[in-house]
Amino acid sequence: MNLLTLLRVELLKIRRSKIFWILLIPAVMMWLPSAMNADINFVMNTYEVAPEYNYFIQGYMGMAWFMIPATLMICAVLLNQTEKSNHGLLKCLALPVSAAGMCLAKFLVMIVLTFVQLLLSIGTYYASAVLASEIHGYSFVLPFAYVCRAASRIYLAALPTAAVYWMLSILISTPIFSMGLGLASIVPSVLMLNTKVWYCYPMDYPFYILMTEYGKLAPEVFDTQIQLMPMLPIAAVLTVACLAIACIRYGKAERS
Amino acid sequence: MKILFVETRKIKRTGYIPAFLGGGLLAGLVPAVNMAVRAETFATQPGSPFSILMDANWQLMAQLNILLLVCGVCILYHTEYEENAIQKAETLPLTPFRLYLGKLGILLFSCLLPLCLEAVSLLLCCIHWFPGHPETGTLLLKGMGFELVMMLPAAAAMLVISSMCRNMWTCLGIGVILVFMSSMLPSGNQVLALFPFSAPYQMLHRCSDSQVLLLPAICAGEVLLFCMAEAAYHKIRRYFS
Amino acid sequence: MSDNIIETTNLTKSYGDFTAVSHLNLHIRKGSVYGFLGPNGAGKSTTMKMFLGLTSPTEGSFHIEQRTYPRDRVAILKDIGSFIEAPAFYGNLTGEENLEIIRRILDLPKSAVADALELVGLSQHKNKLAKRYSLGMKQRLGLAGALIGHPPILILDEPTNGLDPVGIHEIRTLVRSLPQKYDCTVLVSSHLLPEVELMADDIGILNHGNLLFEGTLQELESHAESQGLPTYNLEETFLAMIDADNQNRGERG
Repeated sequence: MNLLTLLRVELLKIRRSKIFWILLIPAVMMWLPSAMNADINFVMNTYEVAPEYNYFIQGYMGMAWFMIPATLMICAVLLNQTEKSNHGLLKCLALPVSAAGMCLAKFLVMIVLTFVQLLLSIGTYYASAVLASEIHGYSFVLPFAYVCRAASRIYLAALPTAAVYWMLSILISTPIFSMGLGLASIVPSVLMLNTKVWYCYPMDYPFYILMTEYGKLAPEVFDTQIQLMPMLPIAAVLTVACLAIACIRYGKAERS
Repeated sequence: MKILFVETRKIKRTGYIPAFLGGGLLAGLVPAVNMAVRAETFATQPGSPFSILMDANWQLMAQLNILLLVCGVCILYHTEYEENAIQKAETLPLTPFRLYLGKLGILLFSCLLPLCLEAVSLLLCCIHWFPGHPETGTLLLKGMGFELVMMLPAAAAMLVISSMCRNMWTCLGIGVILVFMSSMLPSGNQVLALFPFSAPYQMLHRCSDSQVLLLPAICAGEVLLFCMAEAAYHKIRRYFS
Repeated sequence: MSDNIIETTNLTKSYGDFTAVSHLNLHIRKGSVYGFLGPNGAGKSTTMKMFLGLTSPTEGSFHIEQRTYPRDRVAILKDIGSFIEAPAFYGNLTGEENLEIIRRILDLPKSAVADALELVGLSQHKNKLAKRYSLGMKQRLGLAGALIGHPPILILDEPTNGLDPVGIHEIRTLVRSLPQKYDCTVLVSSHLLPEVELMADDIGILNHGNLLFEGTLQELESHAESQGLPTYNLEETFLAMIDADNQNRGERG
């Protein structure tokens, strides 16, 4: 059975699971207050970045630091819980399909969900930017290509984080603990970003990418270019290692 | 007292104690790691070591503490709802409000665990990076006592939310959103700073003389308010069910 | 070549000091209904889980259609329809959607879902969410998941649990008819002898992981007679057999 068929099966499993709301709520929560307080971009803007760019960067900061990793963690745990709550996984393991294949297909579902949130975050950004423009009589709307490119990079950088959380949710079977550990791992990401080995901490990646975007507008704040070395190889190794561990451990409890 | 004993029994094998222990250790690591990687930045700063360490780390440590609190509360009420044990509890001569108070008592004691671990970590950092400051121990004790009081409104509020949500995920989701929103609130606003999920970010050495008594008093008032809300919720629920 | 579709040789499963299944030698004939009988915790589910590759043996081996794990896992599972322990399903999906998942994995024609639902009498409730099903309906959904695509081997672990007397009768009749209807072999477990008596051609009695008896019902009767156990009622025979084994263990212990 190929991965695509398995992906279709896995997507079918999350029907009516309310995951969509988990993707939408953070995006709305992030952008609605931003629209209300958009005027702070005129006053609290130390580096004199154009208010519309400041609005975009500040809004996505909350997303990149907390909301994206938190959403990924919640999705990972929920995807696992859908299998466990009524022994669905036990049934699937007794079917002619490889556990590793199922595990990878589920991770693909996570990627699909990440992509959906990317679209939702862009959509809600535009809605809030239009609203802010109406309220304050100043256009906060940025070009579509710029927004898409910047947001896509942030979400792309979140993929290694997704792999780490996917592994965590499989290794720690009690949902509240995997969730707690995942959420706790988000908190020190800003601290870690200030260390020399920030690239070893995947939870930093989305925030780092956003900060380089900020750096392009205010070079005194942060790097202006993404340091692909050594981030890229380390991210790749971490992603593959986490997925390999996840595949090996997937369904082990049910098979013991 | 009996309810506290009963509640202690209920948390057996739920992983509640290891969670608080692990959470405390994790938060305790924050100042150690921060000092280890940026020692020169902090060691040269003016002021007492306690204030320097708190200013540099407490934001993160407090956030970890609140997240731990949210998870802990979820575990406490999840044991009631998971296998419908709450139904049995409701058929016993025991009011749901006493159940709430018992859980609040448990939370009060369990918050001490991470705070003690964090105090030990801060003390060790002081001894290692800022030698020759004997007053730090007393400051730490006072500071951690203050933080315990600051955490109580969040504990009481989370317990009210948790007692209302049969589904642990709903409770956890609300908790995480509140933690996130509180971290986004502007720090200068005195009123917003006393929002239950913002209060744990307050630091004793940053308080004026009048605030040292006022803030704990307001927190105690908030706890009382949440207790009243819980009692009222059960009365209303009974009326409608 | 033997006509046994499943055969085990000294099959053993231990968890630390506890032996769940001990040196089991089962012989399940092709086209038969094999009743796997034993009290709770006798090792029936563990044996069935080994047949499904859900747990691996500590010692011994077994063959299903001359194939074995882990080498032929996918090939074996393609031929087995299973229903293990509590019904397994996705609560957020309807009964029909739950079967659709299995259909896609097994690569069966679309009609297989409706056919399975019809077979267990769930057609009317196919659009209802599985989490809203009654216990009996969940049990039927689990059975439909096992029967879908008419696999040549069926492994059913206590399939009548939670069903009302009418449901028990229906499922019993269905299981009994399966070998003739679909040319399949059924391994069905239960802790109730009267139930197995009405369904099975052969029975295997398990207690504390040990096989106490294997054969036809007539053979059980003569075996009991030779052991001086009561034979006027098969349930009494079964209980006496288990009791004698427990006492024997107690003495040895």
